[in-house]
Amino acid sequence: MTEGVERSVIEPVNPKFNVSRNVNLPHSPGIRVGDYIFLSGMGPVDPVSGGRNLGPIAEQIRQTLRNMAHMLESAGSGLDRIVKMTVVLADAGDYDEMNRVWREFFPVDPPARTACALQLSNGNGVEIECIALAGKSPAQGI
Amino acid sequence: MTFARQVIEPGGWRRPGLPLSPAIRAGEFVFLSGMTATDPTTGAPARGAVTAETRQILTNMGELLKAAGSSLAKVVKVNALIYSMLEYENMNSVYREFFPVDPPARTVCGAGLIGGHKVEIECVALA
Repeated sequence: MTEGVERSVIEPVNPKFNVSRNVNLPHSPGIRVGDYIFLSGMGPVDPVSGGRNLGPIAEQIRQTLRNMAHMLESAGSGLDRIVKMTVVLADAGDYDEMNRVWREFFPVDPPARTACALQLSNGNGVEIECIALAGKSPAQGI
Repeated sequence: MTFARQVIEPGGWRRPGLPLSPAIRAGEFVFLSGMTATDPTTGAPARGAVTAETRQILTNMGELLKAAGSSLAKVVKVNALIYSMLEYENMNSVYREFFPVDPPARTVCGAGLIGGHKVEIECVALA
């Protein structure tokens, strides 16, 4: 990297996913610096209502990963550009289920990942954050 | 190109006596260890309410970043752990003062913390 790397805020195209703005929390949805994108922890926010989809855990995880795809694509990146993820479950017993959903989204060369069980906000069963590379993968034509 | 890996230790701060460095600068990034409320010159814990611990931590974090040639305004990503999510807004109330504009990306979780502390915060910043 070179001197003078820029730090810029990433925002989702769909404003319903801009949770920090919608409920006035002191974080940005994501920050891009140089070749990297850092996303805040995301939960199962409904893309239409902006509320929480607190259904079965597999659906919560799918919703969260779809939202993450949207957030990354809003910044010109995508799920296939993720380097490292942290998954926080409210219940460690959901670990196997999480892995089943993970294989749907990341069938080949999945990102590095840490998973743990902690207390979450808003009744979320899952929260996921990631570090991704900015831009499209070379296979997609940069 | 190979980046240098540089340990960041502010002058006058007591070493933690633990197998970790306060911060490592690597290329354009600085990675900070999880910080708890501590008097940095004595190393003594400064336990208190979540608001007081958050203020102490972020004050120390600003000093540590400064020693790395960075600042709170250049923080990219924060991970905050609090002992109970019931204290989420208490942490936020002080946190806002330190990051008034374009705050960093952040994840907050409730967790069992070491040493009787109520808050622990780590971050990645631009150097």
